[in-house]
Formats: sequence, C-alpha cells, structure tokens
Amino acid sequence: MRMPTSFEGSSCRELLILDTGPIRELVLFHAVDRFRFERLRSDLRFISNPESYRTCTQFIASFRRKTTSASIVAELYRWIRETDPKGQARLWNRVYEDFQNMGMDEEVVRLVEMDLRLVVTFGPVDVSLLELARRHADHNPVLLTIDRALQGECQKAGLHVSLVQEVTLMRR
Amino acid sequence: MAPDVATPPPHSKRVQAWVYAIMNPLIESLGREIRLLSEGNLSWRSYSRRCEYIRPIREYIESSQWPNYEDFIGDQLNARFREHLTRHDHQVSEVESAAARLFIGLTDSNEFQKQVEDSLERYVSAARAKPQYPDLGTTSDLAKVVAEYLINRTSVLPGHYMTHNFWEDYRGHFEHYHNPPSFQELDQAAAALNDTSKGLLADLEDHRHYFCVTYDIPAAPIPIEKSFSADAYLV
Repeated sequence: MRMPTSFEGSSCRELLILDTGPIRELVLFHAVDRFRFERLRSDLRFISNPESYRTCTQFIASFRRKTTSASIVAELYRWIRETDPKGQARLWNRVYEDFQNMGMDEEVVRLVEMDLRLVVTFGPVDVSLLELARRHADHNPVLLTIDRALQGECQKAGLHVSLVQEVTLMRR
Repeated sequence: MAPDVATPPPHSKRVQAWVYAIMNPLIESLGREIRLLSEGNLSWRSYSRRCEYIRPIREYIESSQWPNYEDFIGDQLNARFREHLTRHDHQVSEVESAAARLFIGLTDSNEFQKQVEDSLERYVSAARAKPQYPDLGTTSDLAKVVAEYLINRTSVLPGHYMTHNFWEDYRGHFEHYHNPPSFQELDQAAAALNDTSKGLLADLEDHRHYFCVTYDIPAAPIPIEKSFSADAYLV
C-alpha cells in the first residue's frame, strides 16, 4: 500500500506558478514511463522514478489553480526543437495534453512591465514568473522550479518557492 | 562484367539504410505498440479520432527516409513484408474506426449520460468538503472524457490531472461498460492488430539478424569518435 505524501489531506492552496523545468520533467517522465520512449530517460534529472513522479504530481494537485507565462511556452519550444526531430510532434502532444489535463492557465507578461534590472540579471523568462507572482500576490502563490538561482531571487523578494528536487523528497 | 545488382555486396550501404532507417525504428515502435495493446491502452483520442501512439507503418519512419522505405518494400529480399505491413495499417484503421463508433455509441447513450451525470453530482457534492477537487465542467464534456478513458482502459491518472479524483472515486461505476457486447468489436480489432504486430516484430527481428550476419553489418550504427589525426581529413 502506498504511503500518503505530506501534502495529501492538507488544505487546498490557491495558486501554483510553474517554471519550464518542472513541466519538462513531467512531460519527459510520462513519455518514458507510460509510452516507453527510452531515449528520453537520460534527459530526466529530478523526476526519475514513479514515486518521485507521484509525489510531484500530488504536490501540484494540492493547488486549486496552476498557471505559467507565455515565455515558458517559448522556452519549451526552444527545448523541444533541440530534441530528435522524429519525436518533436510527440513531445508537443505530451505538452498539450499535460496543459489541458492539469487545467493550466497561461498569461502574457509584457517586457515593459518587467523590472529592467532583473531582466538584465535573470532574463525575461524568469522575470515573467516573478511578475506573475507579484500580479497574483493576493492568492499567496507558490512558484515551482528546478532553478536554485531563481529560488534565491524569489526568497529575496519574499515570494514562496519550491524546488522540484526538494518536493520529490517530501514524505510523511 | 556488370556487377550483380540483385545481390547487395557485403557492408552494403543500401542494406544498412534498411536496417538503421527502416527496421530499427519499426522494431522500436512495434515493441511500444504491442505493450500498449497488451495493456488495453489504445492511446485513442476523441479530438483526433486516432490512436496517438499506434500509427500506420509509414508514420513510424522519418519522412526523409521514405525513399529508403519504398526501396525496402520494393526489393525482392523484403517481399514477404509487403502483405504484412499493409495488413497492419488496415488493422490500425479498423481499431480507430471501432473506437470512434464506440465513442459515439457511448456519448449518445442516455444511460451513459445519466451515469456520468449521477457521478458528477456526487463528485460536486463531495467537492464541497474537499477543496482540492477541481471543477470538471458540464456532464456533456465529462462524458466525452469518460468515454475516452473507457476506450483506453485508463486505470490510474496522474495526480495533477483535473479528473484524477473523479476517476479514482467513480471509475468503478463505469467498468460494466467494458463487458460484451459494447466493447466486443473494439476488443476483436485490437486483438487482431496485436497478433499482426507481434508477428511483424518477430519477422523484422529475424530479418535484421539475417542482414547483419549476411552483410556483416552492426545492428545499429556505431558512433564514430572525432579524430584530430590526419585521417579525419581524408575523404
């Protein structure tokens, strides 16, 4: 019998903002585990077995809403176009299905809305996520990423942030 | 004297192209196909009316390699595959048609709609005490999703899917739809495809072995290490 994760049964949180890394890991693991695209296995970094996948998906499910920025979709495109051309349509298909099945929202953050100093330091993709967190501050958002530098910046700004590599270790 | 064009020479590049660009992708894809079929997961999608990971043979091969595919099926050495490959594609089409008919049959059925409606009502009622249960929309939308899950014999959904809790709680209410006669046509079509794919996979593996031994070629291309010696510049 499986052990419950620490966030199962906890009260529902409102908003999760997803960075590229967690989306890529979810898509890859599903493709490898469910559809046996073994060549993608070496690309997995933090979600490498069914238990870590289950823990991470349960964490995501503990939020009522999930959102990301349009810049993240552009970053997914940059990742997919570097993969084997034969598999690109299938990866996009997985991204579509994951977005649809998790009810992912997608928001545009205009460059001129971003802090120029932060854009210079972190690039517009990471800053779009910080801006989303600021935009939805009333909903106490949590940002999910695999990027420790972004985590540090979020913490400095007083934002809640979780790393996939830490979420997958969370057990009761 | 002119060379014997009917028999490729040892290390033939043409045979290598058949093995690497045609047979290897087919062996990999048919292996996946058989695994999905044995689990009952057709990967059928209502939006496309197609099986997402079970495809006609040509779609398993990169389009730039289609000339090699034509060469493969046109050559006498591979003649025994022609009928087998055609049958495979015909059976994929049969599975997709049977799945589409079943989908329409289910979603048009008053009994099925009522069952979805009842389950959704119970879910909505339970959701009042469980804020992590997301809104699943209308009965009509949910009926399409449930029909697709039944067709693909979906057991457990990933935890972050909106329908995860619904399916975990109410999947059992729909399992009787898997009984004959409703699923009979689809099950028969899938079983026939599974038999064909298994036979095709075994034949392709045998044939690859025959080519490797006969033409002294490896079963997969060997990565060539970069060399900075003068040899690297020799053409």
